[in-house]
Amino acid sequence: MTDLVIETKGLTKTLGGRNVVDKLDLRIKRGDIYGFLGPNGAGKTTTIKMLLGLARPSSGQVRLFGRSIRKERVALLRKVGSLVEYPSYYGHLNAKENLETIRLLLPGVRRSRIDEVLSIVRLTKDAQRQVKGYSLGMKQRLGIAAALLGEPELLILDEPTNGLDPSGIIEIRELIRSMPGQYGMTVLVSSHLLTEVGQMATEVGIVSKGKLVFQDRLEVLKGRSRQQIHIRLNDQQRAFNLLHAHGFKAELTDGRLYVPKADDQRIASVVRMLVQQGIEISRVEEEGDTLESVFLHMTGGEGGL
Amino acid sequence: MRRLLASEFLKLRRKMIWFLIVLGPAGVIALQAVNYGLRFDYLMKNYAGDPWGYLIKNVSMLLIPALLMGMTIISSMIATLEHHTNAWKQTIALPVSRTKLYLGKFAVTTMLLLVSTVLVLAGTVALGLIFGFELQALPWDTLLIALYGAFIGALPYLAVQIWLAVTLNNQAIPLTVGISGLVLSMLMINGSSSKNWLPWKWPYLALLEPVFPVAAGLAASAVLYLLGSLHFARKDVG
Repeated sequence: MTDLVIETKGLTKTLGGRNVVDKLDLRIKRGDIYGFLGPNGAGKTTTIKMLLGLARPSSGQVRLFGRSIRKERVALLRKVGSLVEYPSYYGHLNAKENLETIRLLLPGVRRSRIDEVLSIVRLTKDAQRQVKGYSLGMKQRLGIAAALLGEPELLILDEPTNGLDPSGIIEIRELIRSMPGQYGMTVLVSSHLLTEVGQMATEVGIVSKGKLVFQDRLEVLKGRSRQQIHIRLNDQQRAFNLLHAHGFKAELTDGRLYVPKADDQRIASVVRMLVQQGIEISRVEEEGDTLESVFLHMTGGEGGL
Repeated sequence: MRRLLASEFLKLRRKMIWFLIVLGPAGVIALQAVNYGLRFDYLMKNYAGDPWGYLIKNVSMLLIPALLMGMTIISSMIATLEHHTNAWKQTIALPVSRTKLYLGKFAVTTMLLLVSTVLVLAGTVALGLIFGFELQALPWDTLLIALYGAFIGALPYLAVQIWLAVTLNNQAIPLTVGISGLVLSMLMINGSSSKNWLPWKWPYLALLEPVFPVAAGLAASAVLYLLGSLHFARKDVG
């Protein structure tokens, strides 16, 4: 029994002669929060549709919980909750009725679960209103409630913070972060925003033009970014010379002084030395390659941030 | 299956569907009431030998176009519920097989239209009784064959409408196909009997000789239903 909740092998989808998804090998372990990143149009949603059996792979295979989605779709989907792209809802029904239409198709989910998921996404107050009157953020939260309804072991959320206001985004982020610990769920969350995924994911997969260009722990991705320390002071040239004289590496570009990122102690000794030499330091800050620029580099600068 | 149907019926809440299900039969019966009301003596003289039989015939002549219309509109409305916010991607990602979902859509539409035919049945009997026909003389077999023979004869038409409505986002296509079929079927009422193999005639044939349209209707609808279901099961969700 493998502990991979999602595993794809050579997953490919060809649409109009183009490989929208190209030989994807995803590996998502139990308890992970997997950030599935890529610019718009990179093939994230198509991949998710194949994971859920909504679309058929042109080649390759999808295994959920170690079993083939092609052969055991119905049994596997009982353990999966999903929200794909924009939320789906029946506008003429209220939130409770919407969730009831779904609950009826989920074996073994009691009716009281509807109130639970509504309170998780804080829609209890609006539960009796017709959903067509909801704001986009509320519809999104209803979609998340629907995904949680069956107490899934695997939660697949495609751009879950689309259309949410900042407080809504934080709320959903906290919710997603608490999933593995609180409910033992594994989460796949897709996004085109690295900053967003960077704040909740444990693992990251980056797709660009249908290809997986990175898949590893978030720390590894962070380690790829070349950080520098920018020191703002009153006399760059003299500081530069002093640093070199004392055996520190430094760089002077566009009148700005940089030293390579190092541990706190080393930076502290740089600062101490400069101050002792009578240099006035006004700022010491990390700068340089941000996660975004690493991401942009990997995705060939397609943007989408 | 029971839960699937409960889910489907829940989705109809606050939609005009139930209203239409009652409106259709009410229209059919009301038009016959007017027909008889305006020229009751004349009709009674002509139909003296078999008043129930002629009432049933008159009712079914209106019922069949109404039924075809109903099949077109109701199947489209049922499918639109899912198309509107692309709820398919949510529904199909639930632990239900696609063939079952397709069956659910077909079953709900069929059940709703059966409710309509029961209302027509009740309305026809009520109309006859109001006109003073003898209840003992009511030919139940003729009445049931006229209504449900026509219904079965029209099932292939329903199978096509469901397939188009469910698999296409653009409901203009199923509506156009359905209404064209309706017009075609009305043009064929008086056509030569050598063209009885044309499916658009089958609902009307039930009144004359029910065996062929019922058998052909069941066979053709089974084939069309299976093809539609198979296509739906294999189709990618947009």
